[in-house]
Formats: sequence, structure tokens, C-alpha cells
Amino acid sequence: MSSIRFDAVSKSFGAGQVKALDDVDLAIADKEFLAIVGPSGCGKTTCLRLAAGFEFPTSGRVLVGNAEVREPGPDRAVVFQQFALFPWKTVVENIELGLRNRNMPREERRIRVMEAVELIGLNGYEGAYPHQLSGGMQQRVAIARAYVLDPQVLLMDEPFGALDAQTRVVMQEELVRLARRNPRTVLFITHGVEEAVYLADRVAIMTRRPGRLKEIVDVKSIREAEGWERYSRIEDVMDLESFVHLRTHIWRSLREEKTGAAH
Amino acid sequence: MTGALDPARRMVLGLAGLVGFFGLWALVAASGLVGKAFLPGPLEVAERLVTLLHTSFAGGTLPQHLASSLQRFSAGYLLAAAVGVPLGLLMGRFRLLDDIVSPLFDALRFIAPIAWVPFAALWFGTGFGGPVLIIFSGAFPPCLLNAYRGARQVEPRYIEAAEMLGTPTHRLILEVLLPAATPSIVAGLRIGAGLGWQSLVGAELIVASTGVGYMMVQAQSGVATATVMVGMAAIGLVGVLIDIALRALEARIHNRLERA
Amino acid sequence: MPLGRRSAIGVTTLGLLVLAWFMATGANGLISPGRFPTPADTWTAGLQAMVRGYGDATLVVHVLQSLKLVALGFVVSVAVGVPLGLLMGTSATAEAVLNPVFMLLRPIPPLAWIPLAILWFGLGDTAKIMVIFFAAFVPSVINTQAGVRTIERPLIEAARMLGTPHGRFIREVVVPGAAPMIFTGLRLSLQASWTTLVAAELVGALAGLGHLLNLAQQDLYPGMILVGMICVAIFGALTTALLGLVERRTLTWVRIKGDTA
Repeated sequence: MSSIRFDAVSKSFGAGQVKALDDVDLAIADKEFLAIVGPSGCGKTTCLRLAAGFEFPTSGRVLVGNAEVREPGPDRAVVFQQFALFPWKTVVENIELGLRNRNMPREERRIRVMEAVELIGLNGYEGAYPHQLSGGMQQRVAIARAYVLDPQVLLMDEPFGALDAQTRVVMQEELVRLARRNPRTVLFITHGVEEAVYLADRVAIMTRRPGRLKEIVDVKSIREAEGWERYSRIEDVMDLESFVHLRTHIWRSLREEKTGAAH
Repeated sequence: MTGALDPARRMVLGLAGLVGFFGLWALVAASGLVGKAFLPGPLEVAERLVTLLHTSFAGGTLPQHLASSLQRFSAGYLLAAAVGVPLGLLMGRFRLLDDIVSPLFDALRFIAPIAWVPFAALWFGTGFGGPVLIIFSGAFPPCLLNAYRGARQVEPRYIEAAEMLGTPTHRLILEVLLPAATPSIVAGLRIGAGLGWQSLVGAELIVASTGVGYMMVQAQSGVATATVMVGMAAIGLVGVLIDIALRALEARIHNRLERA
Repeated sequence: MPLGRRSAIGVTTLGLLVLAWFMATGANGLISPGRFPTPADTWTAGLQAMVRGYGDATLVVHVLQSLKLVALGFVVSVAVGVPLGLLMGTSATAEAVLNPVFMLLRPIPPLAWIPLAILWFGLGDTAKIMVIFFAAFVPSVINTQAGVRTIERPLIEAARMLGTPHGRFIREVVVPGAAPMIFTGLRLSLQASWTTLVAAELVGALAGLGHLLNLAQQDLYPGMILVGMICVAIFGALTTALLGLVERRTLTWVRIKGDTA
């Protein structure tokens, strides 16, 4: 069991002047893919950082599995927006660091790393340094580094935000492929509404600071009912009426948020 | 890396560090492990400092030695700034001058300023001129380099605009390059002051008949360790004061430029 | 812009300078040979120092003595300075305790430690190493600490997320992350080592390049002074170049950054 639960979580920064999160209650079920969308600065990244153990709530509790989060750890693998690959390590060295930290024997480690390299299509680049790779390939390495840990929970912080539009589409499709093959509990942070609808089982909409949960939209039931899985290409899915309908609904909800903040 | 400490805790820890340092020093000095003559305690050094304020040692009181050091410093430093900054600006503007001076400068830079001491003494004597040359050689490189870099970093469009307006060269340098390079120049002046002050101390240790450095050498040969330490403290303090003064100047110029 | 132009002008300038040296110090030149040596004087002095020796030893012995002390002093200060910088960079508590002590001692110029070093350890090698230590250790500490601070926060978080144990975190994340700045510190430390060694040897020594310079100054022997200065410059440049080589060999991943991307 590896659900994520936010129990009445509030988070302030500084000496309490900046309130990032206000009384957030959210439960992500085991193997569920949940995306949080919201305007920039709404505290969605803070949610992820709390679940990762990089920050701690000012009040309330964050639970992963049934244990309160106290520190970062490989059971909750993070994929960062800026990749956060070690520039002085090669592709293989980056991927295998987490396994070495677990004291996995060298032979087993080699097999696991090679599987991951294969899975994300980085064959031939094993010995390359991150600077020699394109942004999309760097993010593949970062995803492989997270997947190879076989984590219960994956935390992705706008992982495709730094990629160009074409690369992003390819990566989104690959992520869906991975998620179907190997389902995990995923918390996915993004400001892209289409990305959220395409990838997630449920989409949580957050308000402008102080961040609160405004609405949670169920995508999964509609996706299954409408048979989105028949299409492998993102643009075909995005053309479906049910997709357009959901997307417009979320956009509207976000826009109300923006005009609301003007008062 | 584990996050910032709150200011109160930081101050307590800092105080603990200082108390530890002085305490350890006093303890070792009092324990008799090291001869008293070689390691006086902090209190003795403080007492000695007070004494030296009005008692003469090696031909002068501490303030007198400091005054004579500062005199040499000012001369050498001002000379370095007066030559280094204009030369750096001109090198930034005229490629030919840059190409001529740079290799010379690079070749000479590897000679530690202090290695000029013998020639300095030979050419200008050990009284005033010699040490001034040493300070000059310490303070000159940052003055020149920063003015040069500052002038090189001026956006070409400013220069092009000025040229298009038919601005004569001297005016271009004074009214475009100089103001644009000012932050870099001031930073260079500050670094130069630090290096110049350090070089002066070195020079006075080797060749001089007054000044704090000279006082320390005399104290060393007389095994007056407390006096040596007073000299170190005085040199450090004056160095800090010079730096504070130049920092204030820097901040002021920054403010003025930002408002403009 | 052809690269050749700059070096051509540079070589020409240096050539003209040598020519001017010949003319100015020549028979009816402007500069008296008592003030600055003629090229011939310098050659003679150089030969004398190499073959017969000057100040109880040949030039080779003086050079080796200075090189030995620079190397020893440099290694000791780096071996203390870099770990201390790592500690101050990674532990906020260590930084809070040590920083004030550091701020207190830092304004004292390295050369000002010379009299104290001589008082404590005499004219031998130990005093020189102590002085070099006080000079060279500061840039190592400061730059290492600053280097640790430049490591991007996501990298540190990534390492923690991967469950990296502390020792490995220091070795494989902090040290390489701070490495470019650490090398900057090492370069400054090396420069400081040379400056202070020459100064310390000028103040008092039994051998070494500074000792040679000091004797030449007392003997009013301009040719030998110039020989000493040239040696200081050459060996300072050589050791700096050696360190640069080590840096390029070590930081391969930094160089790659420039090649592609």
C-alpha cells in the first residue's frame, strides 16, 4: 500500500508571512496518477516537496503509505523540472547511484541499469555526460534514475516544463506507455491543462496563494468510458469530444480563479 | 546545507567559536607548555598594545609607526591607481596598445611583488621610495586589469552610438567608457588596496627603518613576542579599515549610478 | 580576428624590449650597470650561480629548496583548507562557529606572520611552511566553501532523494560540485605560497631563491638579482601550469560542457 495523504496541511514560509498552502486535504490512492494544476505560485510544487520530505508542513500531516514523511528517500522518487542530473556522472553512473546506495551487488545493478537504459531508449549513450545530451534525453535519464529504484511513489515536478513542444509530446506519450506497463502512485505537478488531462486519473485544481484545493476532476472514468486507450497518439486523444469537454471545464475553473484574484 | 540557522542561535555559536579560540590561546599560554616569551596570552598582548600607544619601541610609538606605514601606502597606492586605471581604459579602447602591453604584463605578473624588493632597494633606497615601489607592484595589477575588463565589457552599441554622433576620442573615453567601467574600476581599486597593504608589510619587514613591519622585525630579533602580535593585530585592523572605507565608496558610487 | 596578430605583436614587443635592454645598459646607455644589469652581466651571474654557486649553493640547490618548501607548504594548506571548507560549506553549525574566528584572523596579511614564524621556529624549513600555511590555507577554505554553496539545490535534493549516505554524498556530490571553485582556490593558494615563501626567504633563510635575492641585494649585484627574479617567475609559472594541467585532467566533464550543448 502506498497511498499519499495530505491531512489538513498548511505551510507558511519565512516567519509565517507567506502562506503557501492553506488547509489542504487530499488523498491519492495506491497506483493512482494524480495531477495538480494551478496558477504559478499557487503552492502546487510545495505539495510535492512536502511529499518528498524536502519541506515539512507548518500544521497538518503528510502520509505516504501509512507513515508520516520525515525525510527524503528512495521510496519516493522525484523527477525534477530542471532534471537535476549530476553533471560529473555519466548516464549510467547517474542511473545507478540510487542502486549503489542500496548496496545492490554489481552484477544485479548492471542488469537493472541496462534494462532502464533500454526502456527509455538511451542505448549508445551509456557513457555520455549530461551536457552532451539534449534536454529531452536528459529528462529520460532522470526518469530512468527514478524508475530504476522501483519506487512505490513517483513525484514529478513539471518534468516536461523545460522541454520544447515536440519533445514534450514524445515524452508525454512515453510516460503514458510506462505508466500503463508499470503502474505507480504518481503525484504530477504541471501548469499544462492538456498534459494533466492526458496523463492523469484525476486532476486537482488549486487556487491562487494561499493555495487551497478547489476542485478534483475525475478523468479516469471518462477515459475508460470513452476508450481513449485506443489511440496511441496524443493529438488523436486531444481531438476527442470528451477530452475537449474536460479540458474546457478545467480551464474555466482556472480562469474564474484568475478573475477572482483581481478583486 | 541543512538550512539556515536562526540569527540568535548563529550568534551564540559564533560567540562560542570566539571564546573557544581565545580560551584555547589563554590556556596554552598559561599552561607553560610553550615558553612565556614565545606565547604570551591574549591579555598580555592587549596590555602591550595599550603600552605601545604611548611608549616608543624601535624608534616610535605604534601610532607613529602606523602613520609612517600609511604614508608609504598612500603614495604607492595612489601612484598605482593613477597609472593603472587610465592605462587599463586605454587598453580597453585601443587594440594595438592592448596587444603591446598585455604580453609584457603577463610576463611580469608571475613575479611576486615581493621579489621586486632587491631592485626597489637598489633603485630607490630603503627609506621611502623602495617600499613605495613594492606597494605599487602589489596594487597595480588589479587597478589595471579591472579598468581594462570594465572598458571591454561596455556594450558596443554605446560606443557605436557615441561614434555615430561624432564624439572625439578623449570625450568617448571620459564620458562613455569611464562611467560604464566605474563599478569594475572601483572593485579593482578595492582589491588593489588590499594587495598593496599586504605588500607594504612585506616590504617593511625586509627593507625599512620605520613602520609597523619594521617594528615587528625589531621585536622579533628581541624576542618580544607580544609586540610582534600587536603589530599583526594593528596591520589587520588598518587593513580592515581601509577595506571598509573603500566599500563605503563603492556603495556610494553604486547608488549614484543606479539613480542616474 | 586572426589569432596570429596578437602573438606577433607580443613577440615583437618582447623582442624590442630585449633590444632596448641591450642598448640602454650598453657602454654609453642610459642606465648605469650598477642599477640594472646588462644582458652580459646577467648571463655571467647566471653561469656563476649554476656552476660555481652563490651563497653557499648552486642555483639548482636554491631552486630545489624553494620548490620543496612551496610544494610542502601548499600540500599542507590544501590538505587542511579544502576539508575545512567542505565542513563549513556543508554544516551550518560548523560555519557559525568557525566563521567569526576566521573573520578575526583573515585580515592579518600572510606576510605579517613571518616574524612570529621565525620567533617560533627559527630560520629553518618549519617556519617557512608555517608562513606558507597561513597564506595559502585561506584561499583554499574560502573558495571551497563558496564552491559548495554554488551547488544547485536540486542536485543536493536529488542526492538525498536517492538515499545517498553522507560519506558518498561528500565524495560524489559535494566535492565534484565544488571542484571548479576548489581549483580556483588551489591556484590562488599556489600563488600565495610563492609570494610568502620568497618574502620569508628574503627576511631570513639559509638557502632558496629568496635567500639568493637577499644576498644579491646586500652584495649590490644586479645581475644576480635579475637571475633570482627570473627564476621566481619561471618556476611560479611552471607550477601554475602544472596545476592547470591537473585541473583539465580532473574536470573532464567541465571541458565537455564547452564542446557540445
